[in-house]
Amino acid sequence: MRIALFFLTSALSLAAVETFDSVQAFLGTHCAKCHQDKGGAGGFKLSRVTSLESLKTDGEKWKSLALRVKNGEMPPKGAPAPPLDDRVAFTQWVDHELRNQACSSGIVAGPSPIRRLNRDEYSATLRDLLDMHLNIGSALPADGAGGEGFDNAAETLFLSPIHAEKYMDAAKFAMDFAAKEFKSHNMIFVATPKPNVTPTQAADKVLRRFLTRAFRRPVTDTDVAPYFALFQNAQKQGDAFEPSVLFALRAALVSPMFLFRYEPPNPTPNPRPLDNFSLASRISYFLWGSMPDEFLTDIAAAGKLQDDEVLKQIIPRMVKNDRALGFSQRFMDQWLRTRELTTDKIPDDKLFPGYAGSEDLRSDIRLQPALFFRELLVRNLSVLNLIDSTHTIGTGLLEKHLDLKLPLNAGAKSQPQWVELPKGSNRGGLLGMPAVLIVSSYPYRTSPVLRGAWILDSMLGTPPPPPPPNVPPLGEEKAGAPAASVRERLTRHRADPNCAGCHSRIDPMGFALENYDAVGKWRDQDGGKPVDNTGELLDGTKFQGPEELRKILLDRKDLFLRNLTNKMLGFALGRGLTLKDSCTVDSIVARVKEKDYKAQALVEAIVLSVPFRNQAGMVVSKEQVKK
Amino acid sequence: MNRLSRRTLLKGAGVALGLPWLESIAATTAGAANPKRFAAFYMPNGVNVPMWTCEGTGRDFKFSPTLSPLADLKDQITVFSNLYNLNSKGGDGHYVKEAAILTCQTIKKTQGADLANGVSLDQVIAQKVARETPLPSLELGVTPVAIGVDAVVGYTRVYGSHIAWANANTPLAREINPRSVYERLFRAANAGKGSGSKQEALLLDRVLSDAKRLRAQVSASDKIRVDEYLSVVRSLEERVTRASSGTQQPWKPKMALDLKTAPTDQPTGHAEHVRLMMDMIAVGFQSDTTRVATFMFGNAVSNVSFRFLEGVSAGHHDVSHHQKEEDKLRQYQLINKWHIEQYAYLIRKLKAMPEGESNVLDNSMLLFTSALSDGNSHNWHKLPIVLAGRAGGRIDSGQHIVSPDDTPLSNLYLGMLEAYGASQERFADSTGILPGLLKG
Repeated sequence: MRIALFFLTSALSLAAVETFDSVQAFLGTHCAKCHQDKGGAGGFKLSRVTSLESLKTDGEKWKSLALRVKNGEMPPKGAPAPPLDDRVAFTQWVDHELRNQACSSGIVAGPSPIRRLNRDEYSATLRDLLDMHLNIGSALPADGAGGEGFDNAAETLFLSPIHAEKYMDAAKFAMDFAAKEFKSHNMIFVATPKPNVTPTQAADKVLRRFLTRAFRRPVTDTDVAPYFALFQNAQKQGDAFEPSVLFALRAALVSPMFLFRYEPPNPTPNPRPLDNFSLASRISYFLWGSMPDEFLTDIAAAGKLQDDEVLKQIIPRMVKNDRALGFSQRFMDQWLRTRELTTDKIPDDKLFPGYAGSEDLRSDIRLQPALFFRELLVRNLSVLNLIDSTHTIGTGLLEKHLDLKLPLNAGAKSQPQWVELPKGSNRGGLLGMPAVLIVSSYPYRTSPVLRGAWILDSMLGTPPPPPPPNVPPLGEEKAGAPAASVRERLTRHRADPNCAGCHSRIDPMGFALENYDAVGKWRDQDGGKPVDNTGELLDGTKFQGPEELRKILLDRKDLFLRNLTNKMLGFALGRGLTLKDSCTVDSIVARVKEKDYKAQALVEAIVLSVPFRNQAGMVVSKEQVKK
Repeated sequence: MNRLSRRTLLKGAGVALGLPWLESIAATTAGAANPKRFAAFYMPNGVNVPMWTCEGTGRDFKFSPTLSPLADLKDQITVFSNLYNLNSKGGDGHYVKEAAILTCQTIKKTQGADLANGVSLDQVIAQKVARETPLPSLELGVTPVAIGVDAVVGYTRVYGSHIAWANANTPLAREINPRSVYERLFRAANAGKGSGSKQEALLLDRVLSDAKRLRAQVSASDKIRVDEYLSVVRSLEERVTRASSGTQQPWKPKMALDLKTAPTDQPTGHAEHVRLMMDMIAVGFQSDTTRVATFMFGNAVSNVSFRFLEGVSAGHHDVSHHQKEEDKLRQYQLINKWHIEQYAYLIRKLKAMPEGESNVLDNSMLLFTSALSDGNSHNWHKLPIVLAGRAGGRIDSGQHIVSPDDTPLSNLYLGMLEAYGASQERFADSTGILPGLLKG
């Protein structure tokens, strides 16, 4: 989805303005030698991209072309490389044109691939289905991420043999649990054999009710029959009524209809609105990470869920529900990469014993961004609070770690609270939060490079290109010479023209955060010297410290909003975005801006968007056309 | 069961043999001969090259400082130099290299939408012996799948977290909890026992028909996912029915498993965690519950802290970018050597397990790999590769095979497939079996 716009400077329009002709000239100069039609190196012929029409018909080729130029993979090593400014201008032009082309054919629904429930969704669905408050999915392997970077992306939710085994075990465990636990039992056994109710009648009722909930849509006689046969089979073996029912239900919990998010496919060639039950599931898995509740199911059953006004009323109700806490957490800790605080990003325990020594503090730090975002949603505040804010989430331990006096409710200091920050606290927004500052540091020191790159990638959605192969080292220390500071070493690094192009764009923003150490504590000195927190953008704009950096980011609030929208739309759809979605993103961004950047407006615009509520027409393959 | 041991074969050697006898050998070879095992170990982030490289070639070689923990096992060890993985060239510094270490294919650059690699070596072997043991293969690790996509280089980190690939589009998820591994081995070894198994088969049959119905309705691209479901459920069903039906020759564990001896599910640190996983591979092999395993010491770009090692203060990936600094190189080597020690631990363990007239190690091939030589430069030439075990005598071990520069790694794999009894004409970009690898 991302191409170009890869540096802050792009937003400042520093790069030369390109035209179709100048872009063709660029390709002719740098690519023709190998990719002229007879050459066609790597299976790519320039003739594919010589017409304006090709931007429309061969957008993906343009996209990969721009990415390779941007990342310096092409032209390859040994061939004369275009200057960075030309690369920026080229990729920026391609990005812009591709977006224009994508929108010229209007907003489209896009693909909605079938996907299995991920580990968290599986656990939450079992929880709600059976009123069973156990993290039963923890036995499953963690899911990798795809698309916009989330572990609910259809493309990377593959299945391995261990999944099948664990689903079988969990199904048995869940039904054994339900046999004993009062609440779960009652949720399942909505009928039991009585003098005037035969076991067959009772089983039919129980199965229908359960399958409807487990499969998250009405079931037909054909759906129920095989499960009923399992029940009868168990009865024939001499099992009692309840064990026989539970045996049949065990099968339901391993059925693909339960394990997959199934939407009846659209057999027509044209897009169409999604059926109500599929839409209920989409909304529910987006905001709750679980199956729809009775309220949502009832609206779906009444056929009213595609009504704009109904949707607008549902959303505030859903984001305020406790189940939406999981959404904030899963969305934020993957978007910001703070989930890595439990795996790879562990500050050095000898240098930072306070962090290492307190699981409670670590937990408060990890949760802070998610809880902050949750408050923005519940209170319907501006998402620009993520850049700068007068409030934060505080606890007693965070107060101490941040060395601040927060107006916390004294009786509940261990509970996270939404509190106003004192003036001049330097802690407004994500960049004041230790979770973010740690995840963009090394275990033993801060890194202006990592932090600058983190801002460009995670906040602005404009990741820098990877370092070229065989990067020269940061510079070896001469024996006896005083240790150079990180800034001195990076300054030397930037003196190398191979490095300067990127690092003069990445590093300055990182330097503005140097007052935060590698666990996010404030410092005025580093290694006995005053912290140098100054930076300068390519256009000469000078700034100092985190407060001025926040102002610079607020100047780019639309770039930030666009990135946040990309991320949340990708999360909501459970897939990577394609070029064709950029038009949807444009319309969502416009809507949110109209509504003062309100958090609920973003969620609402996503739910109301075309790809979220519709399904694309069936793609007819070339062979089928021939037939 | 009428087992044909090596001794019966020798006894019968002088006798004039009729065809039926030969047929009976052919029919029972798989069950009767000592089973061969294969395991691959992946260490992230490459090696300190000078400290890794062994001096001398052929049988007359000296173990390098990093490989010194293997010195007393020399007759079972083969060290390889100058192998490279051409298809792991370019792309980026880690994901392309790591994902290709057992496939020797170039992965497709994607954030997920069109994951593509090749079938990995372990899975080629597993597919060959899948029906002979309860579990076709074990995929193990100590860290969960890496989080997110790497937008800077444009790859999903799923690539960096999997070396075992069932097919081009499907990596195999790893188990990281040692207790779960033991329980899994136990259950697999005892599948088909008790009254539950017939019911289980019935239940699996039921859901398979749901899946078939679903498959008929979905689009072509969605069929890939439904097919994955069908294949994993089918293999489970097969295991259950095969074990509970009397018609087929039943598999018997070579060592009884006891849940009372299952390890902890919460190891106290990285070192204990790795050890327990090594133990689980040993249990799987000794009991013959599986014959194929892969183990990842970490994901690509792993920055696990090795502070538990005396003299190491930085994370793994950080020291691999040593920038020629002496202190980082020193730490890098200590981390490399620690990995070899864990490998040596398992080698010794399998060596101590008698089997037939030798031991489990002698019937195994344990491959130690990293996808980079020097991590600092993401070098995919001169890969650090060691093999332990002799595949029942097929591997000409006890030597340092120094191949011509840039010899395909896949040539080694092709030879290993031959040694395993799963020979193929080619494996990925192989050009022929690595000379010197096989006996005779």
